Amino acid sequence: MRDRDDVQSGPTRNRGIHGLAIHLSGLTLILLVAGALVTSNDAGDSVPDWPLSFGRWLIHSDNFVANVRYEYSHRFLAGIVGVTTFLLAVWIWLRDGRPWMRRLALVMFAGVVAQALIGGVRVLLPAYKPLIAVPHALIAQSFFGLVVSVVVFTSRNWIAARAIKSDAGSPSLRGLSTISVGAVLIQLVLGAAFRHQAFGIVPHIVGAVAVTVVVVWTSSIAIRRHGDIASLRRPAVVGIGLVFIQLCLGVGAYLARVASQGDPQPLEPMISLTAAHLVVGALTLATMLVLTLRAGRLLLPVAKTAEDGTRKVSPSEAQGVTV
Amino acid sequence: MCRKTISVWMALILSAFLFAACNGGKDKDKKKAADEAARTPYKETGDEATVKGIVKFDGTPPASKRIDMSQDSNCAKAGGSSMTDDVQVADGKLANVFVYVKGGKIDGYSYPTPSSPVTLDQQGCRYHPRVMGIQVNQAFRVTNSDPTTHNVHPTPKVNREWNQSQTQGQAAIEEKFLRQETLVPVKCNQHPWMKAHVGVLAHPYFAVTAQDGSYTIKGVPPGTYTVVAWHETFGEQTMSVTVGAKESKTQDFTFKVGTAYAPSSLEIQPALVLP
Repeated sequence: MRDRDDVQSGPTRNRGIHGLAIHLSGLTLILLVAGALVTSNDAGDSVPDWPLSFGRWLIHSDNFVANVRYEYSHRFLAGIVGVTTFLLAVWIWLRDGRPWMRRLALVMFAGVVAQALIGGVRVLLPAYKPLIAVPHALIAQSFFGLVVSVVVFTSRNWIAARAIKSDAGSPSLRGLSTISVGAVLIQLVLGAAFRHQAFGIVPHIVGAVAVTVVVVWTSSIAIRRHGDIASLRRPAVVGIGLVFIQLCLGVGAYLARVASQGDPQPLEPMISLTAAHLVVGALTLATMLVLTLRAGRLLLPVAKTAEDGTRKVSPSEAQGVTV
Repeated sequence: MCRKTISVWMALILSAFLFAACNGGKDKDKKKAADEAARTPYKETGDEATVKGIVKFDGTPPASKRIDMSQDSNCAKAGGSSMTDDVQVADGKLANVFVYVKGGKIDGYSYPTPSSPVTLDQQGCRYHPRVMGIQVNQAFRVTNSDPTTHNVHPTPKVNREWNQSQTQGQAAIEEKFLRQETLVPVKCNQHPWMKAHVGVLAHPYFAVTAQDGSYTIKGVPPGTYTVVAWHETFGEQTMSVTVGAKESKTQDFTFKVGTAYAPSSLEIQPALVLP
């Protein structure tokens, strides 16, 4: 599908779009940190009105104290991410020739609008906190994944690269890496559910074991079978590293949370550990997503490989291979 | 086609679930309202009794912890203590225990709602009082004596949850609790160490222990009841008491460290309790 569209429209690399997408992914990561700090500091209800804050768009400096700093910073950053997403979506719509890419830009913008509205509902309906906060966390992580995908799709490597190798072996890397992305996303939701007291810790612990197995398995296959392709090897190595850092942060965050139960307020190190745990989780998702997308781009499914062992080459592939 | 059929079925199942959930709640509300309407107003007979006592604390109370108020310099300016005060023990007597009577004939009557409000003040970035009682429908007044903004956020299970900010010098917030609930936590999300608890009852037979651990509940109709003593850290204790006409009964309680119900963090928490 992508190959056909690419051939029809002849995609060319737009450095501006790619650069803005990279900036947006960085901003989104900072926004995730801000959101994590809101939850860790129990600051989610510190500004009871929405979309205004204490009746204003820009709050008075006297109000920017205590937990309001976290909640208002989160809202302010969300506004910047929203505007940047709008600009990027418009730019892609106007300049990117790939129809599926335009649709993706539209989904990205719809995602940021939906996320803002859910955040607002979360503020206005405090009684439904777990019910709303968990989808808010899910969309946040999914949106980050979407922006990272746009970064990949607008990169030089993506536009220039063509399938160069068969995805031989069972299970296939393409399939396994897709499962790993789903597993990480589910695990992030279970973590959010624990943080917002919708579930206990047990589902999250079970998820951690499953995700570790899936990510390590996926990454090992990528390194073992396709270690010669740097674009696949690098995210695989980073994925293994992140999942182990994440395990350590998870244990640390949980112990810190248990130890802080008698504290009069959220304190360090619980705040930093839980926020870092969330951010490394997002980075793990992004890494496995990059691996999945690149595997889909660079590896041919076995079915597509000719029975006589030769590979069917599309017109676009004939333009050359750059990895 | 198959996808459409699945979607329709999922929508139907979800609608049925939501309808059942909402309708079940309405039925309960109707039954409760009917029960309350059926109650006869209580008329004093002159035989009312008194339940009083002292709540003691056995052992060494947990040490107070330091609160980090540096996030808002106005809190320090307001002159509040920077130590926690959830456990107040003096000479082995425990303050801020909510004691109330339940069961027996008091459940069969309705009681007039006091016309005077119950006031919760925010001073020194603390709630005063920390534990209080109120009757259903009685005015709940919240004032802000601090040179900073607070948000007042009760988090009840059965009453309506609300969250409202209150700037320095702003008019008092007036709300009501429409259903009986022991106890409703109140917090300020701007200053997360600020916590209070409000016991909401349909009758006036409740008290909060003073600094000397004493409590007195007057005007109790003669009969047999359960007396409940609740503390935010040490949990709940109950005792059965029978009071005769004009009798003054003493019922003491003793709390110890470790008597509180501490839910395990590994337990599955309820996702949502519909009001």
